[in-house]
Amino acid sequence: MFAVETLSLSKKYGKTDALRELNFTVDEGEIMVILGPNGSGKTTLLMTLCTILKPTSGTAKVMGIDVVKDGTKVREVMGIAFQEARGFWRHKPSSILKFHASMFDIDPVKRQDLIEQTMKELELWESRDKLFMHLSGGQAKRLETAKVLVQRPKLAIFDEPTSQVDLRGKRKIWDKIRELRDQGSTIIVATNEVREAEYLADRVTILHKGTLVVRDSIPKLKDAIAGGDVVEVGFEDPVADKLVEDLKNLGGILTMSPEGNQLRANVSKAEDWVPRMTSASYNMGAKISTIKITEPSLDDVFLHFTGKSLEENP
Amino acid sequence: MSEFSRLVHIARTDFSYFFRTKWLMAILISLNISDMLVTGLVYKGLVTFDYFRFLVPGIVVMGLFSAATDTGRRIWLALREGVVQYYMTLPVRTSGLVAAYIISGGLGGIVYSGVLLIIAFVVVPPQGIMNAILLLPFLFILATGIAGLAAFFASISRVGEIYWVYAQALQVSMVTISTIFYPSSTIAQYLPGPIVVIAEYNPLSLAAGALRDSAFGGGALSTSVFANLLGVSLPLAGIGALSYWVILRTIRIRGKP
Repeated sequence: MFAVETLSLSKKYGKTDALRELNFTVDEGEIMVILGPNGSGKTTLLMTLCTILKPTSGTAKVMGIDVVKDGTKVREVMGIAFQEARGFWRHKPSSILKFHASMFDIDPVKRQDLIEQTMKELELWESRDKLFMHLSGGQAKRLETAKVLVQRPKLAIFDEPTSQVDLRGKRKIWDKIRELRDQGSTIIVATNEVREAEYLADRVTILHKGTLVVRDSIPKLKDAIAGGDVVEVGFEDPVADKLVEDLKNLGGILTMSPEGNQLRANVSKAEDWVPRMTSASYNMGAKISTIKITEPSLDDVFLHFTGKSLEENP
Repeated sequence: MSEFSRLVHIARTDFSYFFRTKWLMAILISLNISDMLVTGLVYKGLVTFDYFRFLVPGIVVMGLFSAATDTGRRIWLALREGVVQYYMTLPVRTSGLVAAYIISGGLGGIVYSGVLLIIAFVVVPPQGIMNAILLLPFLFILATGIAGLAAFFASISRVGEIYWVYAQALQVSMVTISTIFYPSSTIAQYLPGPIVVIAEYNPLSLAAGALRDSAFGGGALSTSVFANLLGVSLPLAGIGALSYWVILRTIRIRGKP
């Protein structure tokens, strides 16, 4: 059984298609990152899974439970951290967490310790006496994450969990999300941040204009792009034409562009090509000063599959 | 935790907002108390009947009305601040959420008017106090009905100012065409007969009348008073529940209220 399964799921707002015939699955115990620019349908998908939105057509199941027919049961097994923090404006963070924990039957004996521990881990403890409406954007976002961490649901959904959060806070939240996965929860994270996806994802689903473009692990997605690795080689002297010809004959190379002392090559597998390149250069008497190997980013992957950059509007 | 317990927990949390705006409530209550003591006592010596005993029940009902309409403000804010969407992710049915809000509105009304009643008890005979306590559940139903009307206005208000316009219009019409501050004989002198009937069956008039006769007058409680109060309050609560349910349904379809 999939933790999440949608079949031909569509959602329209008036005449606008937010999701189009989406077939999407998430395995139990994995972190699935949904990557896409604003307006790609990420939030609509999450809102449908957490039963706030009713699909226009198609079906969606969470832990085998239909989100339309049995919404209350779905809500018992899932928790969501919204993109925009939602809390009781005149309550303190601890009472918001206490309310949330009690709604999900968290053991009253352990509740207080769990709340305190989570608040400390997410650096909210210092703000425990502030009202929600006085929290900063980043603090409110961390509180949103804390709700789900305290709840420890079977399916945890995070919608852009680290937007408005500083770099240190981001890392903390990411680590806690991974910890939640290690404790047995299935996780869905929607983001348009490449670094967040790279850090968290067991698998990535790319959404574009409400449709699923591709879904796989990050290494496989990167391998799927022509010219999987980029190798930049620095020589002590200008690169000779003869050397370029010899390197081309090594195989495994897709494109190569020499410029002065530098050579940039797109190769299918850097770990195979670099040893052969260094050996060939040595034989030609060309001295290498630097070698830099990079792999394509998820932005490159997104660009490859959709023709647009993540930063572009849909 | 059962679904009913969750519903009660949500109602309690929403009701706690009533106390979290305590300074606003304190000012409103002090205004009502000032009306009771200043207007009531001054007019007592100027008109031919005991205006204090006439006015105070009206003010108690006005307090109930003000507190119950605060439900609409809370619903409006909760919709715009996303708290309603958060509630929609909790393991409670839509009908449970609706009930929680209406109950919370009723509690607000009863607590506010209860404070005024306690202060007014200084002039109430002992039997009247007992009658007032017996009336409380019916005043609670009335408060849920008014909270329901407020929920309806919150549901059709795109911006906060508009909600206040509706709430004030409701207050002016319900208070003017009522017997809260003047007897029906006074209305009959200036307005046509059907208006007098509307004023007499106005739920606020019925509540004020019940308090005057049985709590402040010390008279026996009449079952017809209870029946009339329920008869006019329950449909209002129903309208409010339906309105709030429609809001939640709209969010499910459009993604926003």
